[in-house]
Amino acid sequence: MRALLTLTLVLGLVAVGAAPARAQDAEALRREMEQMRKQFEAMQEQYKKTMENMTDRIQRLETQPQPTAAPPTPATPGRENGLVQAAPGSPPYTGPSPLDLVKPREPFALYERRGAGQLLFDMGVTGDFIGNLTQSNVEKNQGGSFSGLENLFFPREVELSFFGQIDPYARAEVRVETGKDSRGGDLTVNLAEAHLTLMTLPFGTQLRMGRVRNRFGLLNELHSHDRPFIDDPNVLVQFFGREGLRESGFEATWVPDLPFYVQLLGGVFNGENEVAFGRNTLRHPLATGRLRTFFDLGDFGAIQLGSSIAAGQTPEQKQSNIIGFDMKYKYTPTGWQRALFTAYGEYLISLRRALVSDSDGNNNEERRRDRQGFYVGADVRPFAHGELSKWLLGFRYDWTQYPVNPGQEWAVGPFIAYYPSEFLRFRLGYKHTERTNCCSYFNFADNGGSARRVDELFLQATFILGAHPTHPF
Amino acid sequence: MRRILLFMLAAAAVWGSLDVSVVRAADKLRVVASITDLKALTEAVGGALVEVDSLARSTQNAHDLEARPSLMIKVRRADALVLNGLDLDDWADVVAQGANNPNVIVGAPGRIDASRGILVLEVPRTRIDRSMGDVHPSGNPHYTLDPGMAAPVTQNILEGLARLAPQHRAAFERNRQQFLARLDEAMSRWNKLLEPYKGAPVIVNHNMWVYFLTRFGLTQAGSIEERPGIPPGPSHLVKLVNQMKENRVKVIVAEPWGDLKLVQRVAQEAGAQPAVLASSVGAFKGTDTYIDWVDSNVKMLAQALK
Repeated sequence: MRALLTLTLVLGLVAVGAAPARAQDAEALRREMEQMRKQFEAMQEQYKKTMENMTDRIQRLETQPQPTAAPPTPATPGRENGLVQAAPGSPPYTGPSPLDLVKPREPFALYERRGAGQLLFDMGVTGDFIGNLTQSNVEKNQGGSFSGLENLFFPREVELSFFGQIDPYARAEVRVETGKDSRGGDLTVNLAEAHLTLMTLPFGTQLRMGRVRNRFGLLNELHSHDRPFIDDPNVLVQFFGREGLRESGFEATWVPDLPFYVQLLGGVFNGENEVAFGRNTLRHPLATGRLRTFFDLGDFGAIQLGSSIAAGQTPEQKQSNIIGFDMKYKYTPTGWQRALFTAYGEYLISLRRALVSDSDGNNNEERRRDRQGFYVGADVRPFAHGELSKWLLGFRYDWTQYPVNPGQEWAVGPFIAYYPSEFLRFRLGYKHTERTNCCSYFNFADNGGSARRVDELFLQATFILGAHPTHPF
Repeated sequence: MRRILLFMLAAAAVWGSLDVSVVRAADKLRVVASITDLKALTEAVGGALVEVDSLARSTQNAHDLEARPSLMIKVRRADALVLNGLDLDDWADVVAQGANNPNVIVGAPGRIDASRGILVLEVPRTRIDRSMGDVHPSGNPHYTLDPGMAAPVTQNILEGLARLAPQHRAAFERNRQQFLARLDEAMSRWNKLLEPYKGAPVIVNHNMWVYFLTRFGLTQAGSIEERPGIPPGPSHLVKLVNQMKENRVKVIVAEPWGDLKLVQRVAQEAGAQPAVLASSVGAFKGTDTYIDWVDSNVKMLAQALK
């Protein structure tokens, strides 16, 4: 008991003695906490300011254009990366001068359009396969639309294309193609096109040079797989041959500053086309010209009208001129991604002098041959949306004289097309042809038989892999 | 032959010297925008100092426009071409080429890419090919539908215009700030209007509304187009309708050029409401300015979500 009392007393004394000390500790603790609070508030304030600064900086950076590739040392004052930079107070940019064009320059920052690891140009592959069925006498005489390839399934055109900007001033396009030309022959690889276009010439002019599909009429500049019909119109085949007009040389275009669209074109070429020209020398070149205009007809309709000329010489040094007129109309109402209705037509006149022999093949005489031909075609896509919008119906009517030999032919051909997507197409078509005389430029009747009445069934499959250049109207 | 060459050289020299002496008399910058949204934003920045036209009409699908010569005529005299970029308006390249106008070809100062520096959504992170439909390799290009993107887009436009007319930079900046202030004001109104529907699932017809929906906190739960640009198959539609019923999706957002009959049918099957919004500035009456356009879309969407 005594021990308990002693302990209580001791504890009481300790407690009484410790009270002032605890009060002092609490005061110190409060001061310390107050100090810490102030420090924390200062840190918080500092952090807030830092965050605000960073946010501002991020916002500024986000609203600024992204930096492009590291700019090299400016080649000349006022130029950076090959691009003209407008200086304060300077007049607006009006394109490079001829002096600029001849100066050596560095490639400019095409990288800005592309992510890392991407090519600086576009490339694509297209494949166009044809199957056709016709009468045996037509096959024997090679008198079908795909002469020499009757009753065969074959690759008509498999094409590898590269295209893009060379530098700020020019772009280029290269197309290499292969396809079957004859029944027993191997596939041959050809340079279909390879050209560059100078884009920044003054006064709305451009210059294209290299190997081109000439811009003559509507279809000549289009590759086979891009054409609106399975086979080529008879008048084009008769007047220019199966390859069409494909030449090496120069072609300049001018779009004058008018309220409506007019494009004028003039070209100088070798004259390699063996059917219409074939002189193949710049000393006696093939000269081409084209005038193209266009009008919108209301919100949904549009018409393009064109006129073309090609004047050159044949290997026999005889003058050969071909004049063409063309028309294309499209009607695309709201909701139709592709045209609901399209109509095409070309009319060609061939004016040439030719050496003509008598029935025995003797007495070559120079004669004038003025011949003509045309085609008209149309297609309709009846539905705007859904599965049915993938179907298209079309037809073409042909009439043409032969450019040198006597005689003419006409043909009519309906077709149906199915587009599972923009990059895949199947077409099924029928064509009936009648000829008054036997001899077109193919001389299909030389080995006996007539082939004057031809019925053909076509199947076409076309695909596009990768990039494909957009075609104008 | 020598005489021909000399003549050609002389002609080239005269042609070039004429070009150097060209003096531009026009007071206003002639600007062409590929789509009407960018036309509206360029007008907001350029004000009275610019004359703006657009290539695509407001009711057209800008993905695959035909490069008509009438568009080339618009670009023929342009000082600047404002492009959406991100592969939406690649056709504008063909237009620029056909216009024979060096001011706006690739790499020229008059070429303004409005997408530079923006935060692009749906950038493919895996290998893509066309079995996925008409996918955009650079990401979803429909950023103009998001009013929050107006700041960087107008900044790009400002930089482009100031590059051509540096003497007007201050005026362009003033116009831009005034426009952004008005937009901010409207933005708080729009946020308030769509606040109650935050997180709500929405189905779209074509995958072009993701920027707009994300800005206002809505969720894109699926699309009628299984793969962009390819009409959907029946199995996809059945799955979509079931998914909509399960997740109680109330609204299908569609664009005026889409297959509206199909949208209506799917909405009916799933017990949802179709909301046809203006996909571009000017697509509907009363949507002729950028702010009016967004305003109309926000109101229509809020109405459909009620």
